[in-house]
Amino acid sequence: MTAAKFVVNEVKGYHGFVKFLILLVVIAALASMVRFVFGLGATTNMNDTYPWGLWISFDVVTAVPLAAGAFTLGAIVHCFHIKKLEPLVRPAIVTGFLGYSLVCVGLLLDLGQPQRGWHVMRYWNLHSPMFEVSMCVMAYTTVLFLEFLSPVAERFGWNLSLRVLRWLEMPLVILAAAISTLHQSSLGTFFLIAVDKLHSLWYNPLLPLLFWVSAICSGMCIIIIEATSCHKWMGQPNEGVLLRTLAKILPWTLGLYIALRAYSLLALSVGPFFDRPVLTLLFVVELVIGFILPFFMFTQKSVREDDRRRVIAASLVVFGLVLNRFNVSMFGMMNPDQIYYPSIVESLVTIGIIAGHILFFVLIAKYFPIFEHHPETVDYTIPGRIRKSDNGAEPVSEQS
Amino acid sequence: MSKVNTSKNNAFLIDMTKCTGCRGCQVACKQWNQLAAEKTEFFSGEGYQNPPAMSEYTFTRIKFRDYQKNGQNEFAFYKEMCMHCNDPACASVCPVGAFKKTAEGPVIYKADRCIGCRFCMIACPFGVPKYEWSKGLPLVKKCTGCYSRVLEGMKPACATACPTAITYGRRDEMIKLAEERLAKHPNKYIHKVYGKEEAGGTSVIYLTSLPFNELGFKPVTLRPLPDYTWQALRMVPAAFLAVGGGLSALSWITHRRDRLKHEKAAEQVDNPAEEKED
Ligand code: SF4
Ligand code: SF4
Ligand code: SF4
Repeated sequence: MTAAKFVVNEVKGYHGFVKFLILLVVIAALASMVRFVFGLGATTNMNDTYPWGLWISFDVVTAVPLAAGAFTLGAIVHCFHIKKLEPLVRPAIVTGFLGYSLVCVGLLLDLGQPQRGWHVMRYWNLHSPMFEVSMCVMAYTTVLFLEFLSPVAERFGWNLSLRVLRWLEMPLVILAAAISTLHQSSLGTFFLIAVDKLHSLWYNPLLPLLFWVSAICSGMCIIIIEATSCHKWMGQPNEGVLLRTLAKILPWTLGLYIALRAYSLLALSVGPFFDRPVLTLLFVVELVIGFILPFFMFTQKSVREDDRRRVIAASLVVFGLVLNRFNVSMFGMMNPDQIYYPSIVESLVTIGIIAGHILFFVLIAKYFPIFEHHPETVDYTIPGRIRKSDNGAEPVSEQS
Repeated sequence: MSKVNTSKNNAFLIDMTKCTGCRGCQVACKQWNQLAAEKTEFFSGEGYQNPPAMSEYTFTRIKFRDYQKNGQNEFAFYKEMCMHCNDPACASVCPVGAFKKTAEGPVIYKADRCIGCRFCMIACPFGVPKYEWSKGLPLVKKCTGCYSRVLEGMKPACATACPTAITYGRRDEMIKLAEERLAKHPNKYIHKVYGKEEAGGTSVIYLTSLPFNELGFKPVTLRPLPDYTWQALRMVPAAFLAVGGGLSALSWITHRRDRLKHEKAAEQVDNPAEEKED
């Protein structure tokens, strides 16, 4: 009783925006129940022509690259050893963990037989990109969960587990990067089978590589947006100096993406390219506003050093990525005489998933030390001791 | 993909010049598979065809096309069904391997495995697998190739019912038969055996007198579709090792450099500035 009262009082004390988010999540939960009672046909606008709708396009194909910040930053900090970015790692891991958990939720809602989800582990089909993505998403959610345990252990003062986790940190970072590479790119492989279905502006054999590189770009941009808004709205310290470093990396990855995109379009695709004005427009908007413009912005020192302009450029990249994933998984697959648009239930569920992401992030940031983690304040003696006993070798270097 | 012994691979040869549009196959298929009737309206789709599309209740259907020949209105027909591809896209993308190309020809669906992700519907170049949209926990439905009948040595229900146009037998013989007909009546047919090479070869083969695109045949690639994804998927182990190994090596190097720096710093303790550089 007292616990319930405590919870009620806690919730009462929340900001109005948080309460609004809770409302959206509850609505989405109800909407997803409606889907199971009345079936997919009655509650969504999917049909035999468009078997995949908003839930796959957003909750899976778009949400996964948006959650790519964790692995990108982990690799930058721990492997490329740009240690000063470390304070950004935890928020990124929390975002990643939430993102992937919600991808799993979205996927389960979309499956016809969610209770058989585990079949993927029983009946392997190595030829299926979907098999690979499911396995990776499950593995990676576990990895993120383990990484996420650090602030939890810190919060409750579990020292032993904290040591184990600290020791596991490097292997987990490398594993995370490797697994992420696989499934971020395999999401692109999904659409390689849609020969003659996906429009030539987007269909090309490099799709997996393009998906991977753009996921890295958007992962970093999400970190910029997240850190900036946490500073603005949640009273967290301004990480501007660190974001500047991150922004210096972005022109390289964005430049690589644009170059690959140009190459794949000019050398590897077969037309017709500009036969449908709407698609041409979507393509131009995506590439110019979503990738080329922010590329030039990030090359400017004045943009990288200005909090506001930097976050604008980062938002453009995220916009470009979202539009790209929708172009590939939805718009580019549509035939002009039968248009798909999401139903109310589909939209409510997706809105609820986005709201849930923000909500849980705010709550976790409230109760767990994810921002307080600055490396100067943490004692790093444990890795030092391992280094001594292992004579310098990293525990995972056998892999190479 | 496991290759099927094509000598035992059976195929439908559907000669559309001989089809009278009686839709006996459509009815036989419904009866044999115990499929519910659909409430439809005449002219609800394009032209005379009814129902307007294949669905969870309709595994095969005759499409009608009006056209003019020597100033006269004529009909052309096209039997739509699963093509039972030799290297099926539906089977390659299914995460749980619910589809299987059998040695006898039909591509079968194991309903007890399916998780309902609908990837097969995205992948199939002919738009064949359909979904039970009305159900809370839906499954996929498609033509079974009458596998249970074929196993018993019987012809599929639609092929048995058809009075004129469908021949069923070993795929190589069906192709030979089709090519003989083309050679014998070069003016009657469009010179093409559809399904011989389409999507890497299928177990349903068509002959027609009208251009295939006018009949509503979708343009499909001749390369087996699973190749397109496999050329990316086969890199997966290499990508995993390259990223994992590369990053391991990289971090070993950077950490070592860091450690050496620390050790150097420890030797000359009076130099606390080293943390600042980077
Ligand atoms: S036609 Fe479609 S459903 Fe039938 S075997 Fe080929 S890919 Fe599979
Ligand atoms: S819907 Fe079923 S049969 Fe189709 S790909 Fe998914 S699991 Fe396989
Ligand atoms: S082979 Fe059997 S299931 Fe397929 S269309 Fe013919 S009768 Fe129907």
